[in-house]
Amino acid sequence: MKLFKSAVCAVALAAFATSASARDLVMNANTSDPAQKLAMENLIAEFEAAYPEIDVKFNLYDHEAFKVAMRNFLVSDAPDLITWNAGNRMKVFVDLGLFEDVSDVWEAEGLYEKMPAVVGASSVDGKQYGVPYAYYAWGFYYRKDLFEQAGITETPTTWEEFKAVGEQLNAAGITPVTIGTKNLWPAAGWFDFLNLRVNGVEFHAELMDGKVAYTDPRVRAVFEKWGELVEADFYIENHPAYSFQEALPFMNQGNAAMYLLAPFIVSMFPEDVRAQVEWFPFPIIDSDVGIYEDAPTDSFHIPVNAKNKEDARLFLAFAAQADVQTRTAATLDMLPPNVNASVKDDRFAQGGFAQLSKADGIMQFFDRDTDPALAKVAMQGFQEFLQNPDRLDRILEQIEAERARIYGAL
Amino acid sequence: MFPRPIQETTRARQVMYKVALPVSLVVWLLPMIAIIATAGRSLSDLNYGNYWGIPTEWVFFENFAAVFGSSSIGVYLLNSFIITIPSIIGALFLSTLAGAGLALYRFRGRFFLLALFIAGNFVPFQILMIPVRQLTLDLGVYDSYLGVILFQIAFQTGFCTFFMRNFIAELPFELVEAARAEGVSEWKILIHIIVPLVRPALAALAVLQFTFIWNDFFWPLILIQSDELRPITLGLTTLKGQFISSFNLLAAGSLIAALPPVMMFFAMQKHFIAGLTLGASKG
Repeated sequence: MKLFKSAVCAVALAAFATSASARDLVMNANTSDPAQKLAMENLIAEFEAAYPEIDVKFNLYDHEAFKVAMRNFLVSDAPDLITWNAGNRMKVFVDLGLFEDVSDVWEAEGLYEKMPAVVGASSVDGKQYGVPYAYYAWGFYYRKDLFEQAGITETPTTWEEFKAVGEQLNAAGITPVTIGTKNLWPAAGWFDFLNLRVNGVEFHAELMDGKVAYTDPRVRAVFEKWGELVEADFYIENHPAYSFQEALPFMNQGNAAMYLLAPFIVSMFPEDVRAQVEWFPFPIIDSDVGIYEDAPTDSFHIPVNAKNKEDARLFLAFAAQADVQTRTAATLDMLPPNVNASVKDDRFAQGGFAQLSKADGIMQFFDRDTDPALAKVAMQGFQEFLQNPDRLDRILEQIEAERARIYGAL
Repeated sequence: MFPRPIQETTRARQVMYKVALPVSLVVWLLPMIAIIATAGRSLSDLNYGNYWGIPTEWVFFENFAAVFGSSSIGVYLLNSFIITIPSIIGALFLSTLAGAGLALYRFRGRFFLLALFIAGNFVPFQILMIPVRQLTLDLGVYDSYLGVILFQIAFQTGFCTFFMRNFIAELPFELVEAARAEGVSEWKILIHIIVPLVRPALAALAVLQFTFIWNDFFWPLILIQSDELRPITLGLTTLKGQFISSFNLLAAGSLIAALPPVMMFFAMQKHFIAGLTLGASKG
């Protein structure tokens, strides 16, 4: 009998030992940009070096496929970790009860003090559901040589200066702004900034939460400003035909001077063009309104149905460390949320960082802050407005109808 | 005689023909030409918007090397074969049996059964996404080759049965009757008489199924998670970025992915044409 017992114990121990030595950590990710892929591979290699007993299985998807696959694997055979976005995009899955509460990691690692800028975006009802690894600023990437060619010596800081710059560029035969609205979201960046500059962050947040009608006169005021640019021929022609990436050659060829975008574009400037590209933040429209910026945040989350949550938490803690974030963000050309991490020493990262440090408030991004269905209808409206500004009334009514359908009548 | 040989037409017609033929050929092949050219372009060319011009440098080798270097495309290719070949064999096996059953035996409800197979083809399989996922989970074949293979067989058998049934029904029934009169068992009739006669149809179906299953993106996306099990269609998407895509690498990868179905088509071309026209006219 004793022999039997010890035999059972031995078998149980052996089983435990094998399961412990093969600690698989499955991670599904949508980070398929070349720089993102590299950053993730490096991060995983570092993690595996620090925890040799853990084997990370990395499954990469492209973003659109990920969105379909995610809705399937989260409810069935969930991975232990996924990459996703903070803010409303995260909240959708938190509300469905599919993301794990990781407030304990925030507490244990002291992340509230170390990542103050992203606490809000990672929280739903005071609990944290993810750990951000990078965020980034939006702003104007512009070609200095083209500005000089048009006789512009200083970057615009006010709306009037911005319009004057556009006029000068047009006079010199250069289209002021390139944009590819086939992807829809590049136009949303413009709306975000215009609304933040005209109405401020509180109104913008209310609008994103569906608490204000799109037919509100304050929203109209935003489109009035936007319309000034459309009428002054700021944008390239036929922009709905181009994806954001296909609109970039206009700038590289020297036919357009500015692009309101995020740092993932930096690697797409060919060497000689990149030497001429500089950065400036979105100009001030109303000096009474504070400086508010878009800073989309990318983060890691643990699905509620994950099998290996312990090691997933180890990974979150590891990815939140200052030196790890320094390296990850540098590979991504983005910013590390950890205040003890250092920002990559280049003019885009530094410029974005300086602007965000000055900011009085931060939002994520239009299609990350508001309901996905509403975002799609609204962004289609923005695209149409840029082509046909005279249809504004009908466009706003359509967006408002969608808002009312989702958030209810006001 | 129709069509009239081009040599017998007027001079003007001949000239028009000679001009129109290469022009339409180029127009039709333009997408293919674009993909091949893109596979040989550098990323910098694409960023400068040089989509159709002569590339400043040809980097075919570098791009293909990058595809193999930056993704496990070799594994993806192998996985595609592992999924496609058993699926074809399974679908052809089942559909030959079902097709022979529906064509050779007169039983009640056989038309209804055939109609069911045909109707199955009109169900958009996307709506079955959630039940199928649940079923694979319950069967314990989620995230495995077997799961995808099973469902490929299930979804392709409907069309194959329809195809095989019509084919077998066209065969002279006297052959079967003669064999029966000799006392040959039904199984032997199927194996020794029916199957050799429908070989062109099987070959044609195999080619069709190969392209269908090889190119399918949906079921692997739903039923497979692990990177090491992914077929090429799913693996290729990892070359597509969240924001930025290396279109030159995507084009190179797509060419690699397209090669097996094309080679399959050429290898089976003879059977394929024979299969399409066989039984078209009763001689």
